[in-house]
Amino acid sequence: MFFKNYRTVIFIGVVIVGAIILLSYNLKYDSGTGIVKTLVLEAAAPVQKFFNAAIGSVKGAWMRYIHLVGLEENNRKLKQRIGELEAQLILYREGYLEAERLKALLSVRNNYPHTFQAARVIGKEQAALSKTLWIDKGQAHGLKPGMPVLAPPGLIGRLTDVSWHSAKVLLLIDENSNVDVLIQRTRVQGIARGAGSRGCVVKYISKIQDVKAGDVVVTSGLSNLFPKGLLVGRISAVDSMGGGLFRQIRLVPFADFSALEEVLVLTAALPDAPEGKKKGK
Amino acid sequence: MIFYVLLPFAAVLLVVFQTTLADVLFNGWLTLELSLVVVIYAGFHLDLVKGMIAAFVLGLVFDSVAGAPLGLFAFLYLLADLLAFFVSFRIVSEKLYLVAGFALVCSLLESLALVFLYRFAFEIDLLDDLLFVFIPQALLISILSVGFFYAMRRVEGLMYGETMQSSQRAGAFRISPEA
Repeated sequence: MFFKNYRTVIFIGVVIVGAIILLSYNLKYDSGTGIVKTLVLEAAAPVQKFFNAAIGSVKGAWMRYIHLVGLEENNRKLKQRIGELEAQLILYREGYLEAERLKALLSVRNNYPHTFQAARVIGKEQAALSKTLWIDKGQAHGLKPGMPVLAPPGLIGRLTDVSWHSAKVLLLIDENSNVDVLIQRTRVQGIARGAGSRGCVVKYISKIQDVKAGDVVVTSGLSNLFPKGLLVGRISAVDSMGGGLFRQIRLVPFADFSALEEVLVLTAALPDAPEGKKKGK
Repeated sequence: MIFYVLLPFAAVLLVVFQTTLADVLFNGWLTLELSLVVVIYAGFHLDLVKGMIAAFVLGLVFDSVAGAPLGLFAFLYLLADLLAFFVSFRIVSEKLYLVAGFALVCSLLESLALVFLYRFAFEIDLLDDLLFVFIPQALLISILSVGFFYAMRRVEGLMYGETMQSSQRAGAFRISPEA
């Protein structure tokens, strides 16, 4: 009867006493991994694995997100860097092309026994009636009207208006341009006159003279303006069918007038240059 | 009966969960002792026998997982459950600030018991940890207990239609005749 009425209290007392005994025993003897611990750890291991995997995946996803945020920032910086490098590359490429052009100019300079003044093209006038260039050198640099202007591989025109620090170049293809020339192969002389977008025409070559398409035309040196032997262009077409004494000859200048950026102005013949090359006619 | 069958598994689940979570959140600085909150809840809401058994099992599992001397937390949890049981006659668990205060006191008492036990049994002085470990941990448990009691009240409301008031539970009838 007593136990029936107080069995809950007795149970509680037993549990507490049992816990105290268990604790005391473990404190005193340090029983290590007992059966209870073994069972609990055995049951807890898969749960621990599951939680670790779950938390690991959440952590991984979070870290990937953080990484992505960093990646976006990194990507933005890299794009900016690419932009800067591209701009730099364009500058270098421009420098390279300029160097190539200057090398070609230098080769022109070396091919002719004259002193030259290099100039940069600062403007172009390619109107219907006028084909001129504007360069950044003038009287202050020793330039004078009439001086021949060259660009690889040969003559492109002559100076007309020269100011202190700039000058105008009348191109070969200008309608007002006339240059004494000769056919390199046959030494036949004529006058190359500008014909605008069609290039030039060579005048005053009679029908009995030997001229063919493909012939190279150089300056004849018969005027005081251009020294002898400057490359001018190549004959593109020869027409002998028309009336009159002279052939109609078309000449394509060697220089590409649309792509000129630097030119050489022939200022004077070198002192040790051969007499024939020092002066034209 | 299902309570006694599921109890060990639930205890393992809870203890492992709190250990893993504490490791992630506090990196070993604090212990996220959800098991103590559950013991207090059991003291407030379960009959004495069930509460004591739950406290004992949770304590044993916690001892095993935490590497404490077997029986240490089992004994402390039994005392906490018993204390909660008697306190539940005086305070109602619906007043969450009282629950928070009680959880804070329980946690501090548990910490003090640990300090004394380690001091006399192992000659290890844990007093230095009191300010930076045990007090923050007690505050954390206090906050957790509010959330846990509130959540359990909502669960009870969902399961039984209405929440059972402490006043309905308070009394000698909570001492279960089954043992």
